[in-house]
Amino acid sequence: MVNSLPIEFYSAFLSDVAKERKPSPIRGLYPLELRPGVISLLAGKPNATTFPFTSVKLTSRSPTDPSKEIETEVSGLALAEGLQYGPTAGLSSLLEWVHGLQEREHGRRKGEGWRVSIGSGSQDVIYKAVATMVNPGDAVLIECPAYAGVLPMFQALHCDLTEVDTDAQGIKSSSLRSILQNWPESKPRPKVLYTVPYGCNPTGMTATLDRRREVLALAREYNFIILEDDPYYFLYYGDAARYPSYFALELEQAEVGRVLRFDSLSKILSSGIRIGFASGPEPLLQAIDMHTAVANLQTPSLTQAIAFSLLDAWGYDGFKAHTETVSRFYREKRDVFEGAMRRHLTGLAEWTAPEAGMFFWFKLLLAKDGEEGDSESLIRTKAYERGVLALPGTVFLPRGGKTAYVRASFSLLGEEEVEEAVKRLRETILEARGV
Amino acid sequence: MQFNIRNSTSSDEELTMQLTDEELHVGLQYSLTNGLPALREWMFGLLERAHGRHKGEGWTITVGAGSQDMIFKGVNALMNPGDAILVEAPVYAGTLTIFQALDAEMIEVETDGHGICSDKMREILENWPSSKPKPKFFYTVPYGSNPTGSTATLERRLDVLALSREHDFFILEDDPYYNLYFGPSNRPPSYFALERDQPEVGRVLRFDSLSKTMSSGLRVGFASGPEPILKVMDLHSMAVNLQPSSFSQMIVLKVLSTWGYDGFTAHAARVAQFYREKRDVFEAAMQRHLAGLAEWVSPEAGMFFWFKLLLNEQGSEHGEGEAEGDSEYIIRTTALERGVLALPGAAFYPNPRKTPYVRASFSLLPEDQVDEALRRLRAVVLEARATSKQARSSEPEVMLTCLASASPGVGTQESK
Ligand SMILES: Cc1ncc(COP(=O)(O)O)c(C=O)c1O
Ligand SMILES: Cc1ncc(COP(=O)(O)O)c(C=O)c1O
Repeated sequence: MVNSLPIEFYSAFLSDVAKERKPSPIRGLYPLELRPGVISLLAGKPNATTFPFTSVKLTSRSPTDPSKEIETEVSGLALAEGLQYGPTAGLSSLLEWVHGLQEREHGRRKGEGWRVSIGSGSQDVIYKAVATMVNPGDAVLIECPAYAGVLPMFQALHCDLTEVDTDAQGIKSSSLRSILQNWPESKPRPKVLYTVPYGCNPTGMTATLDRRREVLALAREYNFIILEDDPYYFLYYGDAARYPSYFALELEQAEVGRVLRFDSLSKILSSGIRIGFASGPEPLLQAIDMHTAVANLQTPSLTQAIAFSLLDAWGYDGFKAHTETVSRFYREKRDVFEGAMRRHLTGLAEWTAPEAGMFFWFKLLLAKDGEEGDSESLIRTKAYERGVLALPGTVFLPRGGKTAYVRASFSLLGEEEVEEAVKRLRETILEARGV
Repeated sequence: MQFNIRNSTSSDEELTMQLTDEELHVGLQYSLTNGLPALREWMFGLLERAHGRHKGEGWTITVGAGSQDMIFKGVNALMNPGDAILVEAPVYAGTLTIFQALDAEMIEVETDGHGICSDKMREILENWPSSKPKPKFFYTVPYGSNPTGSTATLERRLDVLALSREHDFFILEDDPYYNLYFGPSNRPPSYFALERDQPEVGRVLRFDSLSKTMSSGLRVGFASGPEPILKVMDLHSMAVNLQPSSFSQMIVLKVLSTWGYDGFTAHAARVAQFYREKRDVFEAAMQRHLAGLAEWVSPEAGMFFWFKLLLNEQGSEHGEGEAEGDSEYIIRTTALERGVLALPGAAFYPNPRKTPYVRASFSLLPEDQVDEALRRLRAVVLEARATSKQARSSEPEVMLTCLASASPGVGTQESK
């Protein structure tokens, strides 16, 4: 038996805005439509027969045999559903599929206090989760460096961002522990920790099993929710067996319900289709859905219907095979990039090779005297002049500041371009060093 | 990827569209925050045709994940929590929740069969306390309003525009039913078009939606208006959901660019005609079953009938106000028992109240079901009337019984 935290537990975690949201008075009427024989004039839906679409066909490579193509067609009832307004949390077919996926991947069973909501990309649900829990000015724990895309949402809420250090083994639980132990008595404790545990954007790091367990223990001890943003989960390509997610590991805990997990189809199916999902405690998801109902009603039905028809045609095994192909692709890209780094930047930069994701995070060794240096001016001026662009590390620092690190993304470039780019970086560094 | 659509001019003809590799690639990748450039370009052209606004004249377009997404961001861009705003009443319930989340002070401006009552708006603004900051904006659905179905007349629109200038507020023109207009051919221009003739341009933020013409499930809508406002909305998008689906946008773009503006116009006209027929069917059934039992103004756009249930017999001393009855109670009790549901009007008022109005959608039901629904509603109103009559006559009865104790044998029989 899974010991899920009770519903009341979460009321302390909801933001004031989330608590004040009232369910729409209309919503309460819709269940009445289900009464047999009732004729309903309620729904303000357009009539789908006026929509021009009659069928959608999609061709995809077979996940198991890339020489074969699979045809998927969305038509009839599935298309009608895809063209019309749909449920706030997502199309039930896709939700069902995702529940099954989470059970397979993370050992979480349906009906044990958690559920799923589909978002318009994971960014959409991450934002809503943050707004659901964090009040303006609240303290928030965030790994550092952190995915730059979440910084504006915390900044918009004027959060007090407390940086938790990371290293090659992911988030430093020792740093987290010391922050929490030394938390000022007078200051309200943080309600959430934001972390990207696999192939972190920007550091490429994957948190080790020990670190994850320690963070989970701290979450329990200091009572905060872990926001596990995991878009690179399926892009793990390390040699060792993969570590379980926080969402899976929390089953080892005495109580379950302190992990809110985010998955994304952006890196494995399509980023433009904008589908992600949140999985976690029901009361939190309920609050997220209420935000959706106000802000954008729902994730597009058609993209959900298309994604479902594809995923359903593949099945879980096909999906798994597909993600393995994708992660192998990035592993090769990583190898190419690292080869070029070794050839051109040995002694000029420091790095740890990533085992997941699509980013290399490296420190430019700019000064010989041990001073750290600043990658930003160099990248924006000298590197740019030499025709190479990378992201200066400072944009990933929640509280800003100088850093000698840069992030290079190796997802798109071909081998020759990589070679040339890294060569130009070498020249830039050499010039900066005054050699 | 390939999809079939009905041709814009005839529903029997099918067109097959094939996304090129390049188009598919764009549709599957991250794209710009404010939308696919080619789709924005197409929309610029449409707005120029429909509203006479030219590109490069201080306004721009952002594509959103449905117009709700844009309205939400537009409202957040313009107001602070607690600010006073003007809201037409009754109003689209989906924006009420946006305003409530911001704790807005909603000042209701009445509407009638001709749309917004601009004289009432003037009154409100002229009596505005001098110590209180003026409202930031006015929110309105000018065509086929949800829920009232009414369309604002040209005079009303011009009045509102003048007021917005006089009192310096924005007009949020939420216009998803613009293309679902089926009234007389001299349709009033949009606020967005009309403001071109004002001494200054830039107080209208317009929202368009493809939900009623192309597909509500695609989630594509647009905001058009002053550049500085849209820029702030784009920044909001970057933080919260990055961008609307490239995939949805690409599908829409493919259809729209294949059709061209004329094809789109032809399609929209066919959709409007469809709703016109639905309206006619519904109204005929209203006349058959609810004449004398309900009051309504026939809508000339959109998909909603807004009508007042005459729950008390007319001419009774029970006039305006609460005594007119409460449709919510009736719907949840008698109507449900008799197997018909309409949306109680209370859901559409910014501030809580009882109202005898209901909203009925005529978009989905076929003729026989419309007839049956309204037949049932008739029975509901008749039953409510009987009950209210009984209730009313039972009030004097108490008195009469008192009287009766004084002088036995008088009047008690009659009052039954
Ligand atoms: C760590 C992280 N989280 C979230 C996202 C947003 O992804 P989505 O496309 O699912 O919104 C990204 C995208 O780059 C990311 O790197
Ligand atoms: C008046 C009004 N505004 C906005 C919307 C939301 O439309 P969209 O699907 O474009 O988000 C609706 C939908 O019913 C509506 O009636």
